[in-house]
Formats: sequence, structure tokens, C-alpha cells
Amino acid sequence: MSNSIFGWLTIILRRDLLIAFRRSATYITPLIFFLIVVTFFPLALGPQESLLSSLAPGVIWIATLLASLLAVESIFSEDFRDGTLDNFFISLEPSFVLVFAKVLIHWLITGLPIMAASIIAAIVLYLPFDSFLPILLSLILGTSFMSLLGALGAALSLGKSAILSAIIVLPFSIPTLLMGTSVITSSINSQDYFGFLMIMGAMLAIGIPLLCLLTVEALLLNYD
Amino acid sequence: MGSPPLFYNWSSKIIPWLGITTLVLLSLGIYWGLFVSPIDYKQGDVYRILYIHVPSAILGESIFIFMAICGFINVIWRAKISGMMLKAAAPIGMSFTLLVLVTGSVWGKPTWGTWWVWDARLTSTLILFFIYAALIGLHSTIEDKTKADRAVSILSIVGVAIIPVIKKSVDWWQTLHQPSTFTITSSPSMSPEMYLPLLICLLGFYMFFAFSLTLNLRNEVLDRERSKAWVKQNFNS
Repeated sequence: MSNSIFGWLTIILRRDLLIAFRRSATYITPLIFFLIVVTFFPLALGPQESLLSSLAPGVIWIATLLASLLAVESIFSEDFRDGTLDNFFISLEPSFVLVFAKVLIHWLITGLPIMAASIIAAIVLYLPFDSFLPILLSLILGTSFMSLLGALGAALSLGKSAILSAIIVLPFSIPTLLMGTSVITSSINSQDYFGFLMIMGAMLAIGIPLLCLLTVEALLLNYD
Repeated sequence: MGSPPLFYNWSSKIIPWLGITTLVLLSLGIYWGLFVSPIDYKQGDVYRILYIHVPSAILGESIFIFMAICGFINVIWRAKISGMMLKAAAPIGMSFTLLVLVTGSVWGKPTWGTWWVWDARLTSTLILFFIYAALIGLHSTIEDKTKADRAVSILSIVGVAIIPVIKKSVDWWQTLHQPSTFTITSSPSMSPEMYLPLLICLLGFYMFFAFSLTLNLRNEVLDRERSKAWVKQNFNS
């Protein structure tokens, strides 16, 4: 199986998903963190319905960015520490696939739970039912892009403090934040939000090849 | 050029020339702009901050493009000197970006009535400032300088995506900030008495960048090669 790229991809995916599911903290923590951050806003700002619903797009997206950053450090650090990453590189299988698989795993254990939780957040922040679809669409594209950026940040700050990867990644996540909130805000104002989604999709389309390649390059910095 | 001692010797010859050109261009441009060029009929004398604001804005962006090109060369061909150039240019670019933000708010207070607005041009420039900070921060955390250069190179390639956003922000969004002053395709919207000193200021700023980049790069080269024979020879004799 392992002689084809997809075989290699499924092997990594199966292994990493197994590790992730054996330890529930990996996929529960971002979810709980997201919900706690969302809860803080009504507590800090007061429970007025109009205020909360107008702030909701920003709240959801800030909570998403922070929650997805939370698990960034774990993308490569464990494999790096126990030597698995060395073996991946020695195996001569394409390292691009390895990075892509890692990004996919990170998205599965943070992006997906956050998307589920975002509906709860939308309900408690009094967002209208019509905005649920645009929230989910913007989150699919946005969290995938965040996982890509996160992988690059994690690779660059491998073996260093986790806060460094956050500082590296956050300035680059601002376009995602702007586009994501614009999607939700325009859907609430019953405007056309498709244009923002297209830009997010375009960012993702450029990001998958470019950021994965740069992440490979960043990982190789540790193996000179 | 590629080898450090060669660069060091060559740069000591061009530094005085860069310094003199910078001094001449900047003093001519700023004097012309601040004292000679006519008063703007709408803004009065306030507009004269333009002669600092616009060149620093252009420099802040072009230095980032320069850094991304250096980064690209460093990642693909592993050219050490381009990594050092990237490192030497980053603080200069960050300073210019800070200067744009500061002069912009000083200019904004009397004309727009506020120090800061969350407008697309201003916000994207602020992001550029944060990206500079991220690059410099990342460099300082990696001990091996060559690796630090490559890490920053990788990040600068991603960061360069912000430049077209800043450039186009005044066209894509409704903003308070006025459209571009400089366009290559059409003739300037200002009168030549105002436009020419701005052009000279811009050239002066570019020369200043070349001057300070060379100085920074020399320090960087000396710092990294301090244990090599040629550095010891240069400083013992």
C-alpha cells in the first residue's frame, strides 16, 4: 500500500487519528476552550440581546482563532521529540504528504469540533437561524487555512515556547479574521457574502501547496 | 559580492558615496518640500508632512518586498548573504512602517479630526508592522544564525501577500484614506511644484535605506565572521 501517495497518506492519518483519539484531551480541549472564550463575552459585556448579536461574528471568529492556535504546538512537537519525524524524513516518502496529513489531522481535531461548537455559540449569542450556513461555510475555509498557518508556525518554532508560534501565526491570520467576520456580518444584514467566501477559498487554494512546501522547508531546518 | 570579506571591502568604498547622496537628496527634497513648495489650498501647511509620510509608506512596503526576494533567494539557493540582507533590512523596514503610522496619525488629527480610524489602509499597514515584529521576534529566538535566517526567509515569503492588499486597499474598500499619490500609468494628480520635491524625497529615502542597509549588513557580517582570519587581520593591523 505504502508505494502510492494515498497509501502513505492513509497510513499517517490512521496512525495520528488513533493517537489523537486515545487521548481525549487533544480534541476536547480546543472545543471547551472555544466555548469558554465565547461565554466570557456575555459575562463581560452584559446580556443585552442586540449588543451580543452585533458582536457575535467577531466573538465567534476570535474564539476560533485562539482555539485553533491552542493545539498548534502539538502538530509536530511530539513526533519531533520521540524521533518519529526523523524516520518520516529518512523513509524517502514525499514529505509534502506528511505535512498535508498533519494539517488535515489538526483540522480534524480542532476545526471540526469548533465548527460544531460554533452553532451553539451562534444560538447563545442570538444570531438568526439564516446565518448558521454562512458561519459553517466561512469556518470550513477559515479553520483549514488556520491549520495550514498553524503547521508553518509550529514547524518554525519547533522545540521552542508555544507562545512563539502564536505570535508568528496571529499577524498572518488577520485576513482570515476579516473575511470570516465579513461573511457572517453580511449574511446577517442580508447582503451577498459569496465574494468573501471566494476570497477565503482562493487563499486556501494558494495556501495548500505554498504553505505545505514552506512547512517542509521549515521542518528541514531542524535536520541540517 | 557573495563572499563576506569581498563584500566588506567593497562596501567600505561605496558607503561614503551612499552617505553623501542621501544627505544631498534628503536635504534638497525636505527643504524644497517644507519651505519652497506652495501651500495646499485645502489643508494649508499641514499637508507638508506628506514629504515624510508618503516616502516612508513606500519604503515600508518596498523593503518588505526586498526582504521577500532575499528570502526567496535564501530558501532556494541557500545564499548566506541574502539571509543576512534580510536580517539587516528588517529593523529598517519596521522603523519606516512605524514612521508611517506615527506621521499618519499626526496628519490625521488636524485633517480627519482623529488620531486613528479603523480604515483598510491604516489597518493593513498596522498588520505589516506586526508582521515585521513577528519576523524580527522569530529571528531572535533561533540561536543558529543561518537557521534563523532561513526560518525568517520562509515567513517573509508568506508575509509578502500583505503588500498587494495594502496597495489595493484604497481601491477595494471605501476608505477615509485618499487614493495613491504615485501611479506609474497616469500623470500625477499634484502640481509639479509639489510633486518634484516628493520625488526627490522618495529617492533620498531609498538612498538612506541603501546606506543604512549597508551599515547594518557590515555589522552583521563582522558579527558572524568574528572568528575568521580575515576579520582578525583587518582589526589587528
